[in-house]
Amino acid sequence: MRLMTRRHARVTTGVATALLLSTVAACAGSGGSAPSSGGKIEGKLRVLSNWTGSEGDAFKQVIKGFEAKHPSVKVQIETVPFEQGQALLTQQFAQGSPPDVSVALPGLVRTFSQQGLLMNLDSSWDKWVSGGEYTPSVRDMAQGLDGHTDAVLFKGNVNALIWYNPKQMAKLGLSVPHTWAQFTSVLNAAKAKGVTPFAVGGKDQWPLTQWTDSILLRVAGATAFNDLARGKIGWDDPRIVKSFRVFANMIRSYFPSTSLSSSFTDATCGRVAGKFLFENQGAFINLVDPQECGTNLVPGKDLSFFEMPAYGSAPAPQFVSGDLFMGAKASKHPAATRALLEYLASPQAQEIWAKIGGYVAPNAKVPASAYPNVNDRNAAALWPKNPSQRAGYDLDDWIGGEIQVKYEQALSQFVRDSDVDAFISKMKQIDTRSHQ
Amino acid sequence: MTTSLNKPPLASGPGSFGDRRGGGRTPTAPGGTRRAGKRGGRTGYAFVTPLMAVFALFYLWPVVQSVLSSFFTWGLLRPWNLFDRSTWQFAGLANYRRTLSDPDFWHAGANSLLWLVLFPLLVVGISLVMAVAIWHARRWSVVFRTVFVLPMTISLAAAGVIWSFVYNPDAHIGVLNAVLKALHMQGTLDVGPLHLKTTGQWLADPGTLNLGFYDLRLVNVFVIIAAAWAFAGYGVITFSAGLASLPQELVDSARVDGCGPLQVVRHVIVPHLRQPMRIVFVVSVIFALRTFDIVYVMTSGGPGTDSTVLGLLPWQEAFAFLTSPQAGQAAAVAVLMSAVLILLGFPYLKSMLPRKESR
Repeated sequence: MRLMTRRHARVTTGVATALLLSTVAACAGSGGSAPSSGGKIEGKLRVLSNWTGSEGDAFKQVIKGFEAKHPSVKVQIETVPFEQGQALLTQQFAQGSPPDVSVALPGLVRTFSQQGLLMNLDSSWDKWVSGGEYTPSVRDMAQGLDGHTDAVLFKGNVNALIWYNPKQMAKLGLSVPHTWAQFTSVLNAAKAKGVTPFAVGGKDQWPLTQWTDSILLRVAGATAFNDLARGKIGWDDPRIVKSFRVFANMIRSYFPSTSLSSSFTDATCGRVAGKFLFENQGAFINLVDPQECGTNLVPGKDLSFFEMPAYGSAPAPQFVSGDLFMGAKASKHPAATRALLEYLASPQAQEIWAKIGGYVAPNAKVPASAYPNVNDRNAAALWPKNPSQRAGYDLDDWIGGEIQVKYEQALSQFVRDSDVDAFISKMKQIDTRSHQ
Repeated sequence: MTTSLNKPPLASGPGSFGDRRGGGRTPTAPGGTRRAGKRGGRTGYAFVTPLMAVFALFYLWPVVQSVLSSFFTWGLLRPWNLFDRSTWQFAGLANYRRTLSDPDFWHAGANSLLWLVLFPLLVVGISLVMAVAIWHARRWSVVFRTVFVLPMTISLAAAGVIWSFVYNPDAHIGVLNAVLKALHMQGTLDVGPLHLKTTGQWLADPGTLNLGFYDLRLVNVFVIIAAAWAFAGYGVITFSAGLASLPQELVDSARVDGCGPLQVVRHVIVPHLRQPMRIVFVVSVIFALRTFDIVYVMTSGGPGTDSTVLGLLPWQEAFAFLTSPQAGQAAAVAVLMSAVLILLGFPYLKSMLPRKESR
């Protein structure tokens, strides 16, 4: 999951661009010939992931399950920090030696898919959707603009969760809000009691996108949100502008002065230490807090969450994200590669990690009883399992590429200046898809 | 007849060692001298050829490729290849036009300009003061020199991490904020166009310098300070070497003439260090323009694009903007940066090359 991996320390690549550009071999078309997906499930597979620590251990357990199921396949896991993953994958795909299976976000999957570099998984998805394992809206997350689906969703995440310490809330005499009015009322009360309402780790940029997506889905709605993601409407759409006005008010009223200088870890551990009341984050916080902040937190007692309330009368659409896995068309072991992808999408594989914790299974067949504690169970219950349930996938992760980078930069400036008009104007320059 | 066999192989031309050994005879057989010259030349080329081959293969050839690739549209997934015409999507000067009309390029250029001005001044200033202080404190000079040179031995990325801790907004972690808090100096400072916030947000929002037409954000200043700390060791070494050759008599006579310590520095030491100062200055300028790692580690060019410098742009264009094939534009940025670097580095190269002596 990007949200987890981006907290890894950024490491400088330090490679001179000119040299690098000149050394990339002209092999981009190597994935052009589609190997048959039939044949024996055997061979040695390279899998690229970016999980470390207890998450890395959990993923190894999942892979062990696959090796036990297919003893003729040996899987070698290569771990790279998220920030380096895109560049590394690009180089390896361009050189014709990609990993057989690699973790990716939707933007990258679409880019590689458009180049014909990925194994197509349409038939598998048809089977999973008709069998009730995944909903069409979940399939949309992995689907390219051409209607094909070339990736599986392995790790889900539910966002727009407001994390807090129930004991701190009780001490302040505050209760969990259920409406937007109650929400702002609690925030004002916290401020009046000298507690900074929100922990914000804006130095890492991505935590700010958690905010925009949460508010966009609540104020503009799922339709406008998904249209914006797909470039069908522009950033000057009145529903989008209104969302950013609401967000600007939140920043001015409730964000700490350290919003842009605190990293995600600083912010989240600051909340655990009681410096802040709330943190708007994803379900993974249930795993991150005890790990990163070195504290024994009892889920439900020391750490709990509520969903950010709906802005209007309509129920808030679910804000989800997740990690995809894609298979290289150039894989030397296509049958084993496909088998691993199908395994990662299966309830059997996902249940292994669900039992370890800090995980939301995207496959609807994973039972609630698999989750080890109340926070994981409650978060997993929010994952869209009903086909009629509206959801929006992480906006910038879905868009990817140049727009994603520049959007995150513009967002930092927006948090600093709270200037809605300047932000919208900047985004209109950056994202011109709706004009094309 | 004097033949070439009578001459030392490397001696050629009048005034050479061979001529002197021959009792100052002028060459009597021009043909023989020419042959010796040719042989000497061949020997010289033989020595230089391996180095030239390595230079051509690993430096010149990639440079030529980069320059050529900047005239094509391509991305890393569809790389341009000089020998494969199917990869050629000729763009002419479009990559250069796009680069030069991109506000982000000029914004990064303005940040790099700040680096170009401030970084060499800080490096020269800090290292000159340190080198002179070490030179004066002769007793502990080895210890001091080691201490001041030590930051140079760590990578700039590591220096960036260290200074990120120094600047941490939490006074329990960040030394700078702890000191300011202890001294009750946290607030804002307005001096003319300078609006400095000492509230602890050094890498987020430390204030602005209003230039009338442009609000210069000061985040870069604090990254530059970290880089200067790491780079000053180079200046200390260079200046210390210069000071080692300073004749003591010159200093003593200046003192006898009534010069105080500052006057000795101004009228004796600084003029003596003019050449090392030029070298440190130009090397700092070159470093300032191509800086990447410390900016990437400390701010990644942010918040927003507040500290984005030109060195970050090719990386972004080639690797971060994967959805659009802009590696050609990345190459164009790299070529433009190289052109500026060569222009700025030319005085340094000129001063380093041996001058031909006039007869």
